[in-house]
Amino acid sequence: MLEEMKAKIKTIVSEILEVPQDKLSDEARFFEDLNVDSMMALEIVASIEKKLKIVIPEEEIPKLRSLKNVFESLDKLMMK
Amino acid sequence: MNDIWSIEKIQEILPQRYPFLFIDKVLEVNKEQGKVVCIKNFTINDYFFAGHFPANPVTPGVIIIEALAQASIILYAALKPEIAARHPDYYLGKVEVKFLKPVKPGDQLVLEVKKEKAMANAGIVKAMAKVNNNIVAEGTIVFGVKEKQ
Repeated sequence: MLEEMKAKIKTIVSEILEVPQDKLSDEARFFEDLNVDSMMALEIVASIEKKLKIVIPEEEIPKLRSLKNVFESLDKLMMK
Repeated sequence: MNDIWSIEKIQEILPQRYPFLFIDKVLEVNKEQGKVVCIKNFTINDYFFAGHFPANPVTPGVIIIEALAQASIILYAALKPEIAARHPDYYLGKVEVKFLKPVKPGDQLVLEVKKEKAMANAGIVKAMAKVNNNIVAEGTIVFGVKEKQ
């Protein structure tokens, strides 16, 4: 995935979670480390869909457990 | 597919009751488009007008948000009937709403809610409230759904 797109996604996640970007590592686990709840997770998905103009299927959402997972999932989705 | 709901059917889905039930009727349920249209009528007999405000009755904005949130539950129940049938707890997560015009006694509030995302444990909707076809409030509501233990 392009660094530019990664940066965009990181900005979206950082804004929704209100966590500064420098404290948001790619490996940090959304639910365990960042206290993300199901509503914030859905907000992240909706915002990524809108800003990057892609559709993330519902069954993919539970797999998005860290920024790294998001990058990997989107890579797969965009290859399709 | 359109489906008009009576107050009895509304009460099967919404856990809210007097004095906090803010849907009188469901005019339209469109599962394909992920949209519902509901109605709430305000009258000078509504209890909050006595205090909000004496000599200047205006519907509190939070009550309009609550009405939109209740319409969101109706939409969720239409989209996920198997989950709604188990009467989960619904709770508000985040609300971003602009208020454009005051709503007065005698006004009929038309509540239009459209799905952005609906999952087993959360949902996001675009919500709009109109009076006489003029938008009085609009925004986005994020809510959670949790099955009772």
